[in-house]
Amino acid sequence: MASSGFRAGRSGSNRFLPPDPRVEEPYRFTPQLALRLGILGAVALIVFGILFFRLWALQVLSGPQYLHAALDNQVRSIRVPAERGEIFDRNGYPLVANVGGTAVELSPADLPKTWPARLAELRQLSKVLKVPVRQMLVEIKARGNDPITPVTVRESVKRDAPINYIYEHEEQFPGVRVVPTFLRSYTYGPLASQLLGYVSEISPAQLKSLRKYGYQAGDTIGQGGLEATYDRYLRGQAGLEQLTVDSLGHPRSDLVLVRPQKPGESIRLTLDLKLQRAAENAIRYGIGLAYGNRQYQANGGAIVALDPRDGSILAMASYPAYDPRVYTGRVTAKRLAAQGLTGATAKQMNYPALNRAIDGVYPAGSTWKPVTALAALETHTISSSTELPCTPDFSVPSQYPGFPPQVFKNVDPYADQMMNLPTALAESCDTWFYRVGYDFYNMPPSAGHPLQAWAAKFGFGKKTGVDVAPESGGLLPTPEWRKRTFTAKTDPNWRIDRSWKPGDSVQLAIGQKDLLVTPLQMARFYALLANGGRLVQPHLVQDVVEGGGGRSAPRVKRRFIPAAPQPVGLDPTALAVVNDGLFQATHSSIGTSQSVFGNFYPSIAGKTGTAQENPQTNQRDQSWWCGYGPAQSTEPPQIVVCAIIENGGFGADAAAPAALKVFQQFFKSSTQTTPLGSGAATG
Amino acid sequence: MIEAVDTRAKGLRRPRSESVDLTAFLGRLDWILLGAVAALVGYGLWAIGGITQHDIPGNSGYYVVRQGVYAAIGAVALVAVVFIDPEYYRRHKRVIYVGTLSVMLLVLMAGTVSRHSKRWLDLGFFRFQPSEFGKLLFVLFLAGFLADRARRLGDSRTVLQTIGFAAGPILLVFIQPDVGTAMVYAVALAAVLFVAGTRWTHLAVLGAGALAFILTVLWILPSAGIHVLKPYQQSRLTGFTNPSSDPQGATYNVRESINAVGAGGLSGRGPKGATQTNYHFLPEHATDFAFASLAEERGFVGVSILLLLYLLVVWRGLKIVSAARDAFSAIAAGGIVVAFLFQVFVNVGMAIGIAPVTGIPLPFVSVGGSAMIANLLAVGVLEAIHARGTGPRRRLLR
Repeated sequence: MASSGFRAGRSGSNRFLPPDPRVEEPYRFTPQLALRLGILGAVALIVFGILFFRLWALQVLSGPQYLHAALDNQVRSIRVPAERGEIFDRNGYPLVANVGGTAVELSPADLPKTWPARLAELRQLSKVLKVPVRQMLVEIKARGNDPITPVTVRESVKRDAPINYIYEHEEQFPGVRVVPTFLRSYTYGPLASQLLGYVSEISPAQLKSLRKYGYQAGDTIGQGGLEATYDRYLRGQAGLEQLTVDSLGHPRSDLVLVRPQKPGESIRLTLDLKLQRAAENAIRYGIGLAYGNRQYQANGGAIVALDPRDGSILAMASYPAYDPRVYTGRVTAKRLAAQGLTGATAKQMNYPALNRAIDGVYPAGSTWKPVTALAALETHTISSSTELPCTPDFSVPSQYPGFPPQVFKNVDPYADQMMNLPTALAESCDTWFYRVGYDFYNMPPSAGHPLQAWAAKFGFGKKTGVDVAPESGGLLPTPEWRKRTFTAKTDPNWRIDRSWKPGDSVQLAIGQKDLLVTPLQMARFYALLANGGRLVQPHLVQDVVEGGGGRSAPRVKRRFIPAAPQPVGLDPTALAVVNDGLFQATHSSIGTSQSVFGNFYPSIAGKTGTAQENPQTNQRDQSWWCGYGPAQSTEPPQIVVCAIIENGGFGADAAAPAALKVFQQFFKSSTQTTPLGSGAATG
Repeated sequence: MIEAVDTRAKGLRRPRSESVDLTAFLGRLDWILLGAVAALVGYGLWAIGGITQHDIPGNSGYYVVRQGVYAAIGAVALVAVVFIDPEYYRRHKRVIYVGTLSVMLLVLMAGTVSRHSKRWLDLGFFRFQPSEFGKLLFVLFLAGFLADRARRLGDSRTVLQTIGFAAGPILLVFIQPDVGTAMVYAVALAAVLFVAGTRWTHLAVLGAGALAFILTVLWILPSAGIHVLKPYQQSRLTGFTNPSSDPQGATYNVRESINAVGAGGLSGRGPKGATQTNYHFLPEHATDFAFASLAEERGFVGVSILLLLYLLVVWRGLKIVSAARDAFSAIAAGGIVVAFLFQVFVNVGMAIGIAPVTGIPLPFVSVGGSAMIANLLAVGVLEAIHARGTGPRRRLLR
């Protein structure tokens, strides 16, 4: 039968007849098929081998790691914001406090996974909250690799209707939560706004550099001012709650508090609220006076009030200011622009975010003359009894043969008399000091640059190191500085500009030309005049206190002890001569601000300054006044005030009356306020 | 011994009545394969019971019961198919082909859309997925086609004709769209060509062509701006190579699946403790990602048992190919076994991040009636081939 032909493939070769093409070969299990089956079997074994190997690696070798990931998956950590510390003035008045608010938060990990569902939810949310979808997407994207930390979509002090809607329809908004939060409240509005700074959510760049100090995404951090400098005390520590959720973000357990939040510590400033307010009002008053004198470009200013005994800053005002409340709740470009806080509007609003007291730099003008006087006395260029002529002008022979001499004019074109140093200070004779400046110029190179050397000892040309940023160091010009600054690359006239010329010394003697100082540097120098020649460390914060709100007496947790005032090695007699000149300036009939301070009690000593207009920067005369009180009294001076009214004209016309306002407030209230450091909160 | 010879095809003999000797017939079944499949179905039901315990609140047995019913229907179908001589399929291969194609066209026109894909025909009580049954019918048709041309297999025309006929169903499945099942069809095509004895050179050319096709679709055309696949398909197919590339997007499933598998550890977290499954971090855990859920709940031990059962089925399947009575049976068995192996590999591989994410169900485990019944039918065909095969006899004679 045919079956024999089929059997085990034996029929192939020993056939008698050739195969009939019409007869189909019976099926045989050929070696060819056996080979192919073998290959399939091998493939199957390899496939299962791979699967087993991979499963072994996943489940047995790195199982614990994936178990951890799986457990993380269901636990959502929720930060419980800590109440930020408050900022009190020296008498316990809260300058910055907190109010409870409500925030709507998005957890990107708990939003719908599919794009259409996610977009639909965000659209719905946008409709309720009036926050653009685009903005939410940008913020979610910014979270990128951190889908756990929620994005704050909207913050508000009041729990308004939209937030209530979300709260009541939470089921419709997976991944969205309404949580209590704390918002900064600025009791006195724009008061000291540049100084206090503001807070906002930590930026990615900040997070990168600050992560090692325990900052996390979503943290609130001080941005600028004291909020930034003292952030590590103020911020406290956020608590942590945990919650088991499913993949749709629906809670599967109750909230469990894992780590309680730690409220931030409050700081108490050396600042005196009333004096600060008086100083801010005084700038506006000074500007008003300048307007009265047809100085219509007067538009800004700064006042620093300092305790000359220890460097405590009593007031630090800068005008114009902004309202820090624009940074609470939802920050919009529109609100910022209205306050001059965006790049486009800052110039138009005259830079309200700039803290002019420490970051504004101005030529010092005649308020600088005591520096020149002290340097001259110390180098014996002059003595206390030296009489020099005060003339309408002062000529310096030209360096270049054949050129006419350079002529420097006096402010008072009719002055023509011999005078000693106190009189020259009192009358603020420019030509008198030009002569001294020229003497400095003519000193042999071996003497160095005594004027700049003494100015540096008085703290000019570098930052004071006050505990608030950003601070400028100003500019103390030296021949070396000229050489360094004016090079072929930067200046076409560098061959001329790089050399230090007689005019540089002459004008530096009256605080003009390249010299730039900050109001705080000036105040610090006048504190040195007032306290017997010691350089103080200006500072704003006296201690860290616990217990906020002012209801109970705060407990001092940490006291900041500023560096002790450093004697700069001045001859007391030299100092006495200069102080005599400053007293005459406010009291002698020829004194520049006698009309302002002559009748004020206690007596004040101080110097006007009129930093002359600089045609290159389109600045008009800067109106300066710096001084201290009580002067020539049995009591040591208690306060130094330095005021500048930008483009305000003569010092005596705008800055001096503004400074007087501060003295008035200080001596009026100093008898009423609690003494410094008693720790009593009266707020 | 005569029944082993393929004489009926030439009309020399009437088919022997099989009801005559039922006991002898039962003795010729592959009881190891049947045992393995029964164990798989039972194990799958037990696994689904744990996986879906929390899916429907208040009715923890919902899916198990449904799945059990399907398994029972499938078992009846299996028994019925065992008694059908495979020769019958060869003779009616045209009907099979045209029938399959028309049902698939019907799906395209009147199918139910679910998750962007039109794969189902709604029969009211049952959502019927023709492409699952199509896998078996497709193999049977191609096997018949090739068996009829057994002498001309070396001819490249035969190979091209086969591919031409296969292209129809593959394309219809692909545009549903169901890339995963289309891949299974393509692999089944390759398997039948391979087992039928296509020349090595032809196979090499086909392999190279397939590789070029995959590269073109996934890489060359998209970079030229032509997208054959939808973006989500593309990212699923390629995403497994870099699971952390987009944790919230395309590779979310893979990442969560790997987490679930890894978290299972050696002995599993049990149906209660399996948070990836119970809290729905693992999507599609009753269907496409059933393996990951099983791995989370039962651990390495649990999945090893499952994989060993699969290996047993594949081994018995390959033995059936060697014992087949005729070319048609051998080719059909080969196609069925390779398609089965491929489905297991892609489904498990997807769950552990070594294969692309495609909607291929895990045979005998994933929830789904069509797949369960179709797979049991395929086992029935294998048993029918075995019962009429030469295996036991060959051993006797040796």
